[in-house]
Amino acid sequence: MESGKMAPPKNAPRDALVMAQILKDMGITEYEPRVINQMLEFAFRYVTTILDDAKIYSSHAKKPNVDADDVRLAIQCRADQSFTSPPPRDFLLDIARQKNQTPLPLIKPYAGPRLPPDRYCLTAPNYRLKSLIKRGPNQGRLVPRLSVGAVSSRPTTPTIVPSTTAVQNVLINPSMIGPKNILITTNMVSTQNTANESNPLKRKHEDDDDNDTM
Amino acid sequence: VGSVAVEDQPDVSAVLSAYNQQGDPTMYEEYYSGLKHFIECSLDCHRAELSQLFYPLFVHMYLELVYNQHENEAKSFFEKFHGDQECYYQDDLRVLSSLTKKEHMKGNETMLDFRTSKFVLRISRDSYQLLKRHLQEKQNNQIWNIVQEHLYIDIFDGMPRSKQQIDAMVGSLAGEAKREANKSKVFFGLLKEPEIEVPLDDEDEEGENEEGKPKKKKPKKDSIGSKSKKQDPNAPPQNRIPLPELKDSDKLDKIMNMKETTKRVRLGPDCLPSICFYTFLNAYQGLTAVDVTDDSSLIAGGFADSTVRVWSVTPKKLRTVKQAADLSLIDKESDDVLERIMDEKTASELKILYGHSGPVYGASFSPDRNYLLSSSEDGTVRLWSLQTFTCLVGYKGHNYPVWDTQFSPYGYYFVSGGHDRVARLWATDHYQPLRIFAGHLADVNCTRFHPNSNYVATGSADRTVRLWDVLNGNCVRIFTGHKGPIHSLTFSPNGRFLATGATDGRVLLWDIGHGLMVGELKGHTDTVCSLRFSRDGEILASGSMDNTVRLWDAIKAFEDLETDDFTTATGHINLPENSQELLLGTYMTKSTPVVHLHFTRRNLVLAAGAYSPQ
Repeated sequence: MESGKMAPPKNAPRDALVMAQILKDMGITEYEPRVINQMLEFAFRYVTTILDDAKIYSSHAKKPNVDADDVRLAIQCRADQSFTSPPPRDFLLDIARQKNQTPLPLIKPYAGPRLPPDRYCLTAPNYRLKSLIKRGPNQGRLVPRLSVGAVSSRPTTPTIVPSTTAVQNVLINPSMIGPKNILITTNMVSTQNTANESNPLKRKHEDDDDNDTM
Repeated sequence: VGSVAVEDQPDVSAVLSAYNQQGDPTMYEEYYSGLKHFIECSLDCHRAELSQLFYPLFVHMYLELVYNQHENEAKSFFEKFHGDQECYYQDDLRVLSSLTKKEHMKGNETMLDFRTSKFVLRISRDSYQLLKRHLQEKQNNQIWNIVQEHLYIDIFDGMPRSKQQIDAMVGSLAGEAKREANKSKVFFGLLKEPEIEVPLDDEDEEGENEEGKPKKKKPKKDSIGSKSKKQDPNAPPQNRIPLPELKDSDKLDKIMNMKETTKRVRLGPDCLPSICFYTFLNAYQGLTAVDVTDDSSLIAGGFADSTVRVWSVTPKKLRTVKQAADLSLIDKESDDVLERIMDEKTASELKILYGHSGPVYGASFSPDRNYLLSSSEDGTVRLWSLQTFTCLVGYKGHNYPVWDTQFSPYGYYFVSGGHDRVARLWATDHYQPLRIFAGHLADVNCTRFHPNSNYVATGSADRTVRLWDVLNGNCVRIFTGHKGPIHSLTFSPNGRFLATGATDGRVLLWDIGHGLMVGELKGHTDTVCSLRFSRDGEILASGSMDNTVRLWDAIKAFEDLETDDFTTATGHINLPENSQELLLGTYMTKSTPVVHLHFTRRNLVLAAGAYSPQ
């Protein structure tokens, strides 16, 4: 936070002085002293990466030495990867023209919370509950098993599940899951039946859970 | 355009190839000096106007030399003439000085845009004739070529402008705005308020005049709504853009609003508002965005550690909806079911929202207080529910930092603007934007809706403010005049005026209907980062990085507008130097830049900022 001490001390290495001069030329007057170190690290890393790449290109072309062409190629390849910039203006004008031609969609009345289709929302649960009480294979799962697509593919909000000793009551809203419309209410320890009959579509991975340790 | 975007190399070289060698590089200095001499010897009245040529010519000639790889000539050209340019172009010149080789030009988007968009100059016909005659003499052909190719000279008939008038309007990256750019009709009027029956239980004769009863002979109409049945010619038709219908909860809100309005303090030069400042302590410059709900009950802060924090301003704590298990237990038929679904046990004054992966630069509450939007450096805009305090949607579209976002005053739509130089209009139920507002030459720093939700104003780092039509995405107004990137915008409550603040410390006032600058408020010494009009538009409050809040007399600033035919046709106004008279008060904070300003419904000012001791 101190903006007072900007100029590096006189006995700083030449590179640091050069970097301070560059910052001054670019109009940056207030910066923390460690910025110079970070800039020097960046410069070093950039140059070594480029030269390494240039060596590779040069040896690929079976040249005895690294020459300017190799370096130029290395710079160009790296620039496309790391230093991207926003699209050029004519491209933006073009897509804007296309997008702005479609009329604004009408708003349906009485639609409740107006959110995009569930696929694009972050409202699906992103966790799966394990059964803590091991039961025999045919006595039913206490674990509400979600449709397979729901868990792995999308980023979802981390929700903090208050941990208790047994499996929770989970009411899964049909609208949150998508096409499969699973409505499962599993009650605590007692019932095996509800889980069993609740959804014939669920695949039963009988042995999966038993492999996990707690 | 065949393959889009990835391979833009062909476009770039096409763009730059127009810089092909046209003249002898060693003669450039002579050409420029020759022109300089000519302009300095011209009549006083023309000199100011013709001096506008210096900067664009300088840049284009320099870029030509660089592109054609005459490094030494470019360097000496720069050395010789860069000091002559106006002080407000110094930042651009500094960027230019770092472009010394052809390769540098390819990576610099701003310079490419500068080259492709014609720099606009507004010159009177007399001055133009003078210039043309001089340049068409054979030894000045080079400059004439550049003028024809890269500059757009908007000629107007009338008196040449004075230096002061010109200085007020120039400064943007692309020169000024063409007069025709500001000619299209803009519906700046407000939409009619819907008529709602108000319960008159605390006043009036008939004690039983309650909401829900069948309409009596004279139900009290909405007092804010227009009294006349005639359509305001300046207001957009009600259904110009689709707007969400009013729900019951919205109607209740409006009634509350009307009640508060009756208790509102009338402000004026002799009745200044009190300012209540909310200081964020221990934020250490991590506070990057603030928003307050319309009824002033919640404050949200966006931080550099990627969290969004919501506080309750009133004693009422923040509650989330109960977990599913508990919800099934409550009695759904009871009257206070909306209270019962809220969980008392986890009620707190502060809720923290995690989700972004970069500093949060913009925050906006929805008008119905159900949602909060936040925009971040990670390129997404997130919609948070204020009932469950979880994230509902992440809108991806900008792939670069999103600097600002705002909900429409009617909800449902929101606008965002970012580093990719466009602003996007979204609706909460579409995962892709509905409109893309492209045209700025540099980052869009600030986006605001007009009170009638039909227009969006964007302020950019290219020092212009543009007004966009939501219906078709067209840019209907371009306002130039700021000398630095614009960081704050606000519309007046009557929809007619726009106030903008930038890093140059000035607040500029614009008449939207006529497309003119109508005022300039000088006083701040650092970036003006927040602006807000009072609820009835009598006072303009501005907050700045110089740790002060200033109050300005808005009524006086907007009266006596000389909008006779000449000024509206040519866009010139003589701005009076009345900043001192308009300044009603300066309030200093203790090293706290004022990030946000808000007028409560009763015209109390709330200001927010993070304490940042130096």
